Amino acid sequence: MSATLPTEPDLQGSASLRPPQVLNGRGPLWVTDAVCSIVEGKTPLWWYAAIALSGSLAAAGGACILYMICTGVGVWGSNSPAFWAWDITNFIFWVSMAHAGSFISAVLFLTRQKWSLSVSRAAEAMTVFAIVCAGVYPAIHIGRVWYVWFLAPIPNNFGMWPNFSSPLLWDVFAVTSYLTVSSLFWFAGMVPDLAVLRDRATTRVRKFCYGIASLGWLGTARQWRHYEMMYVVLAGLTSVLVVTVTTIVASDCATSVIPGWHATIFPFYFMVGAVYSGSATVLTLLIPLRALYPQLKDLITPAQLEKVGMLLLMMGSCVGYVYVIELFNAWYSSNVFERGAFWERFTGTASWYAITCLSINLTIPQLFWFKRVRTCLPLVFVLAILCNVGMWFERFMIVTTSLLHDFLPSAWGNFHPSIVDIVTAVGTVGIFFTLFLLFIRFVPIMSMNELKASLPGTQPHHSGGKH
Amino acid sequence: MKKIFSHPPRDEKPVLWRSLEERENTADFNGSLGREFSDAAAGREADGLSRRDFVRLMGAATALTGVGLTGCRRPEAHLVPFAKAAEWTIPGKFLYYASAMPSPTGAVPVIVTTTDGRPVKIEGNPLHPLNSGASNGSTDAFAQASVLDLYDPHRSKEITHDSLKVGRGDLDNLLARIRATADSNGGEGLAILVGRDHSPTVERLRSSLARQFPKMLWFRDEAIGTNEAAFDALLGAGVRPSYDFAKADVILSVGSDFLNPSDAGFGFAQGFAGRRDPKGSMNRLYVAENHYSLTGGMADHRLRVRASELGDFASAVAKAVAVKTGSSDLASLAAARPSTASFDSAWISGVADDLVSAKGRGIVIAGNGLPADVQALVLAINSALGNLGATVTARQTAVKTTGTLADLCGAIQSGSVQSLLILGGNPVLTAPALLDFPNLLARVPETLHLSLFSDETGRVTHWQVPAAHYLESWGDCRSVDGTICAVQPMILPLWNGVSAIEILSALAGEKIDGPSAVRSTFAAFSKDSSDAAWQSFLKNGFAAGTSWPKASPALSASAVLAAAQSAPKSSDGFEAVFLRSSSVDDGRYAGNAWLQETPDFVTKLVWDNAALVSPADAKALGIHDGDWLRLTAGDRAVEAAALVAPGHADRSVSIALGYGRKGVSHVMEKVGFDAYPLRDSSTLCFRSGVKVERLTRDAYSFARTQEHENMEGRDIAREGTLETFREEPSFAAAMDGEASSPASVYPNPPLTADLQWGMSVDLNSCIGCNACLVACRAENNVPVVGKDQVRRGRDMAWIRIDRWFASADHREENLEMIPMAVMCQQCESAPCEAVCPANATVHSEDGLNLMAYNRCIGTRYCANNCPWKVRRFNWFDYNQRPLDELYFGPLAPKGMADSLQMSKNPNVTVRMRGVMEKCTFCIQRIEEAKIGRSVAAGASDVTKTPLPAFQTACQQACPSGSIVFGNIRDPKSAVSAAKADPRTYSSLAGLNTRPRVTYMARVRNPNPAMPGAEYVGAANRRPEHA
Repeated sequence: MSATLPTEPDLQGSASLRPPQVLNGRGPLWVTDAVCSIVEGKTPLWWYAAIALSGSLAAAGGACILYMICTGVGVWGSNSPAFWAWDITNFIFWVSMAHAGSFISAVLFLTRQKWSLSVSRAAEAMTVFAIVCAGVYPAIHIGRVWYVWFLAPIPNNFGMWPNFSSPLLWDVFAVTSYLTVSSLFWFAGMVPDLAVLRDRATTRVRKFCYGIASLGWLGTARQWRHYEMMYVVLAGLTSVLVVTVTTIVASDCATSVIPGWHATIFPFYFMVGAVYSGSATVLTLLIPLRALYPQLKDLITPAQLEKVGMLLLMMGSCVGYVYVIELFNAWYSSNVFERGAFWERFTGTASWYAITCLSINLTIPQLFWFKRVRTCLPLVFVLAILCNVGMWFERFMIVTTSLLHDFLPSAWGNFHPSIVDIVTAVGTVGIFFTLFLLFIRFVPIMSMNELKASLPGTQPHHSGGKH
Repeated sequence: MKKIFSHPPRDEKPVLWRSLEERENTADFNGSLGREFSDAAAGREADGLSRRDFVRLMGAATALTGVGLTGCRRPEAHLVPFAKAAEWTIPGKFLYYASAMPSPTGAVPVIVTTTDGRPVKIEGNPLHPLNSGASNGSTDAFAQASVLDLYDPHRSKEITHDSLKVGRGDLDNLLARIRATADSNGGEGLAILVGRDHSPTVERLRSSLARQFPKMLWFRDEAIGTNEAAFDALLGAGVRPSYDFAKADVILSVGSDFLNPSDAGFGFAQGFAGRRDPKGSMNRLYVAENHYSLTGGMADHRLRVRASELGDFASAVAKAVAVKTGSSDLASLAAARPSTASFDSAWISGVADDLVSAKGRGIVIAGNGLPADVQALVLAINSALGNLGATVTARQTAVKTTGTLADLCGAIQSGSVQSLLILGGNPVLTAPALLDFPNLLARVPETLHLSLFSDETGRVTHWQVPAAHYLESWGDCRSVDGTICAVQPMILPLWNGVSAIEILSALAGEKIDGPSAVRSTFAAFSKDSSDAAWQSFLKNGFAAGTSWPKASPALSASAVLAAAQSAPKSSDGFEAVFLRSSSVDDGRYAGNAWLQETPDFVTKLVWDNAALVSPADAKALGIHDGDWLRLTAGDRAVEAAALVAPGHADRSVSIALGYGRKGVSHVMEKVGFDAYPLRDSSTLCFRSGVKVERLTRDAYSFARTQEHENMEGRDIAREGTLETFREEPSFAAAMDGEASSPASVYPNPPLTADLQWGMSVDLNSCIGCNACLVACRAENNVPVVGKDQVRRGRDMAWIRIDRWFASADHREENLEMIPMAVMCQQCESAPCEAVCPANATVHSEDGLNLMAYNRCIGTRYCANNCPWKVRRFNWFDYNQRPLDELYFGPLAPKGMADSLQMSKNPNVTVRMRGVMEKCTFCIQRIEEAKIGRSVAAGASDVTKTPLPAFQTACQQACPSGSIVFGNIRDPKSAVSAAKADPRTYSSLAGLNTRPRVTYMARVRNPNPAMPGAEYVGAANRRPEHA
C-alpha cells in the first residue's frame, strides 16, 4: 500500500525535520509482523530462564511477606526512630518510577511527540507493574495488616471515618486512582492491537483469549472515533495524575515536622525524581529488549532512545538542583535542627546512603550532555541502572536518614536492614520483571496502530501543504 | 490459692475395704488418697501423652479440620464469678494495704494496690515519717519492680532435698530434728546465716534461740556490706550517723551516693531536693567520686578522684579545714594519716572555705564502701565544723554485733558447724573469693538455703527451700530511721514459699500461725497487745515513735586516730571499683526483667554491666566501647567488656556487681560479667593494684537506650546558675528567643472540658533515679523486649530518662550531667494526630492526646512525626511470645505465664503486636477520679464537685517530687503553681505544638571561688553566646 503512495515534497520536508519513527522505510505490514512475531513466535529459551529467575525472586519475596505478616513488622530492620525504612523507601521508589511511563505515553501523546510511540506501550506497562510493586508496601508495612480496610472511606459502627487530613490516606486514594487510570490507559491503548492478534490467531485458545481481551474490536470508523476520544480523555487524566500522585506522596514527608522532610520543595522534588528514575527504567528495559528481538531495531530507534536520555538529563539536572537548594536552605535557615539534620545526613552513621545518592545523581545525568554518551547504547544501559540505584539511595536518604537525626539527639539511632528487608525488596524486583516478561510474551509490546499511523503517507494531509 | 484436701482419717486395718491394696495399706494406696483422680483416670501418663491419646487426638483433629472449618469461630469462653471472693473485694475496685519492702539499707514503706486478691502495684506510704512533708509517698525503682519478682515463673517452687522434691512435711521434720538435737546439746553445731533485713522479729527469735541454745552460732552477711565495725569503734556500739539534708547549706560527698536509695537508705532525696529551689535558700553540693553517680550528677562542683584516693582527698580537706578552724585535733589527725595523692589545692581550699563558712550547717558524708580511715576523717571534719549534733546526728540502734561470713568460714574450718541454715543472701555467688566459701560449704554435713530462686547457693546446699516473697508473708522491718514497719501478706504463697520467720519460729518452738510471731514482737515493743493497736499498726504500716532514739554523737578521739593510722597504702596502677548495680542491686534482682531493662542511671546500659573506664585511659590503652578487658587482681582475673564513661576517674575501672550469673533463671542468662571473684572484701567498694589488659577479641555488643549524649547545641535540657536565675528568673524561656507565631494550619481540638491536664517536670530536683520509669512500666503493663530488641532501638518504656553530658569548655573535667525525663508531651496541637490515617490517635476535650489501640493499624506515621520520639511500637507480640523466639513467628509458643498475667493492671489494655502505644498521663487513674467525682456529685453540678486526689504513677513514685501533674485550668493546683514558676519552659517550643508537659530549668549553685566555677551551669552556653 505504501509503495503506491505518491511521494510529495511537503511530506519529505517534514520527514527531514523529524526523523522517521520507523527506520529503513518499513511498511505497516512489516510493523505488524515484527511486533506480533514476538507474541506468536516460539518462546525463546532466555525467556524461560529469565522468568524462572524473576519468578523465584518474586516467590521468595512473597514468602518473606507472609513471614512478616505472621510474625510482626519487627522482622524488618525498622526501629525507633527509623519507624519507616525500606518499606516506604521502596514504596516511593516504585511509585516514582511509575511516573515516567505515564509522562512518556500521556504527556507526550497530548503534546504530539511522535518519538515516544514505540516506547510508550512498554513504558505504560512499566508504570502499571511499578505501581503493583509499590502497592505491595503500603498494604503490608502496617502493624496489623488485617485491619488495612480501616483506610477505606467507610465509617465504622461508631460513625467514625478515616482521618482525611492524613497524607497517608491521600496516598491510598492517589495510588489506587493512579493504578486504576494507568491500567485503563494501558489496556485501552492495547485493544486494537489485541484485535490484530486475535485476527492472526492460529489456535482456538489464542483466538478465544485475545477475542475476550480485544472486547469485540472491529476497527470500524465509529469505534475508532469513540476510541480516540476516550484515549485523549484517559491521557488527560493520566497527565494530571503524573503531577498529583507524586505531589501527594511528597506530602507524606512535606506535611510532617521532621527536619529533612518538612520542605515545600518536596512535590517538585519528587516529581522530577520520579520522571528521572522512570526514564532510566525505560532505558534499562528497552535497550536489552531491542537487543533480544533484533526486529525491533527498526522500531526502537537510537534517536528515540536518545530523546529518553535527554529527558533523563533534564530531570536529573532538576534533581541535582533540588539537592543544592535543600542544602542551601538548611544553611540559610539558621535553624539548628535543619542544619543538624543535613549535617548528620552527610556525616552521621548512615552517611554513605546520602553520599552514594549525591555522587550518582549529581554526576551520571550530566554525562548525557554528550551525544556520544547518549548514543552509545551499552553505556546508556549501564548508566541508566546506576541512575536507578542512585534514586533508590535518594529515597532512602529522604525517608530514613531524616528520621535518624531529628530533634532530640538522645533519640537518634541507626538502621540496619534485615535479611527479610533485603529479600522482600529483591522480591518486588522479581514481581516487576515477572510481570514485564509476561507482558513481552503475551501482549503486543508496541502500539502497532499508532506506529502504523505515524508511517509516512498514512497521515491524512492537505494537498499543497498550505493552510 | 489451691486448697489441698486431705482424706479423712482411716483405720489401720479396715473392716470394709475397696481393694486388696487398701486392706494391705500399701504405700501406693496411701499416696493415691490425696489425689482426686488416679493417673489412669486423668488419662495421662507420667511422660505426657500416651500413644492411645495421641492417636485419638490426631483423629479428632483431622475430623475437625474437615468438618469444623465451616463453623470456624472463636472458642467460647465463660466468665466465672468467684466462688468465694477475696476479702472486701468490690469487683473493679482496688484495695490498698500498707506494708514494707525489706532491703539491706532499711525498709521501704509501701502501700500495695491489690485487685481481686492479687497485688499489682506498689506505692510509697505517705504517712511514714520518712515521707513526711511529701504528699506522694515515694518509692524507689526496686520497690516498684518487686511485684514482678512475686509473679516470676522462674521462682523456686519446690522444697528439694539432695535435688529430690520433698514436701513441706519433710521440712518440718528436718526443723523438728534440728531443734531436738539442739535441745539435747545446747545448739552445738547449729549455725544460722541471715542477711541484713532489719527485722525486729528475726532479732527477737534470735534472742529466743540464743536463750534456748546458747551454743548456737549466728552470722550475718550482706553482699555489699557497710563498715559496721568502724562506726561501732568511732561512735560507740550500735551508734550510727544520721544526716539531715534539709538543714544543710553546704554538702561535701566523699564518694557517697546518698541520693541513691538503694545505696544509702531510702529517704534522703526528699530533704535534699527541698533545698534545691533557687527561690529559697539553695544548698551547694560538692562531690568527689571516681565514677558518675546520681549524686555526682546533682553536684555543683565535682572532682574525679580514684576511690582508693578518697582517703587522701578527705585528709587534704581535713588539713585545710583544720587550718581555717584552728582545730588542732583535726590537724594532728590529718597529719597522722599518710597521704600520697595530691589534689588541686584551689579546689580543696574552696571546699574548705565554704564548709567553714557554713559551720553547723554543712554535711560531709563518706561512701558506705570506704575504709574506716575515710569514715573517721569525715566524722572528724564534721566534728571540727560543729556539724556533729546539728546536721549530722546519731541514732542508737539496737543491732547486736554478730559474726560475719568470715567468722562462719572460720567456724566451718574448725569443724564446729554441723547444720547450717542460710536464710538470706546468696553467699556462694557473693562471698569474697579469699574465703573459699563454696568449698567450705561442702564440708558442712547438713545445709539449707532459703531463697526466692534456686540460685548458686541453693544448688549446692542439701536443702533448697523456696522463700516466700515479702508480698506473701508476714514480717516486720525497720526503715533507715528505725521506725518499725509491718510486712503483710497480700496473697497466699504462690509456690509454697516459706519465710525466714517461719523457719526461725519453728526452730524456736513457737507456734506458726499467720502473724503470731510478728504480733508477739509487736506486743513486746509497743507495750500494747490490744487488737486495736495491732490493727492500727497494720493499717498505718508502721508503728509511730519506734524510730531509733537519738544519741549524742560522741566521736572517740582515740578510735579516730587509730582508724586514720589504719589507712591502707594506696598503690599505683589501676584500681577496681565495685558498684551496686542500679538495675540488679547486688545481683538479687538479676531475675527481674523490668529491672534488667531499666537503663543504668549514667551509662544507659540495659541487660548488662560493663567495665567503666575513663576517656583518658581508653585513649591510652586503645579501648573502645565493647572491647574486652581482663582485670587481674592477685591470682584472680575477670573478663568484661569495657565502656568509656565520661566523668570517670583515671587509672580506675568501675564495674557493677550482680551480673554474669549462670544457670539460675532464663532472664539472667548471658547478662553481663561477674565481678564478684575480683573482690577480697565485702565491705570495701574497691581494690587497688589491679592489672588491666585489653584482649584482642571481637567487641561485645551492648544495648543502650541512649547513645548520643551531647545536646548538639540544642537547648533541650536547660540550666543556669543561681546568679543567672537571680538576674533573669525566666532565663530558660528566654533561650527560645522571639515568641513564635501561634498560627496553626490544623484545626485545634476544642479544649472545652473543665479539667485540663498538664504536667511539670523540675529538672532541678530530678536526680534521674528511674523510679518513675519502673512505676510507669508496672502501672501501664509496658512489656519487656529483651536485650536484642533494645539494641535494635525498640525498647518500650513510656518514659525515658535522657541523660545529657554537657561541658561548656569541652573538657572532661567540667563535664556536667543532666537527667531529663521525657514522656509523651501531650501536645495541644499534636503532630501525631494530624498524620494518623485511621484516626487512632485523637485529642480529648481535657487536653489528652489519646491512643485508641483498637483503631490503630500500625502505620507508624505518628511516631515518625513525633519530635520527641516518645511513641512506642509493638514490633512483635512482646506479651505473647518468648523474647528469644520473637523471630520464630507462629512457630514460637504463644501465651503468657499464668503468674505473669496476674501481675497486670486490669485497668490498662495489654497491647498486641502491630499497635502504637505511649504515655497516656495514666488515663485510667484520671478516669477513675472523674468517675469518683461524678458519683460524689450525684445530682449536683459535677464541675463544682472537688476531684478525688490522684496522681500519675511516675509522679507518685518520684522520690524528689520533681514531677507534678494536675488540672492546669485550676489556678490553685500544684501544677499551675509549678508552671507559673519562672524557670518553666517548653522543650522544642519553636515547633508550636504547645506541649502540656513543661520543664523547669536546672539551676546550679557554683561557688565563684572554685576553679572551673565559670563552667558550672553552662550546659547551654555556646561559643557565639559566650
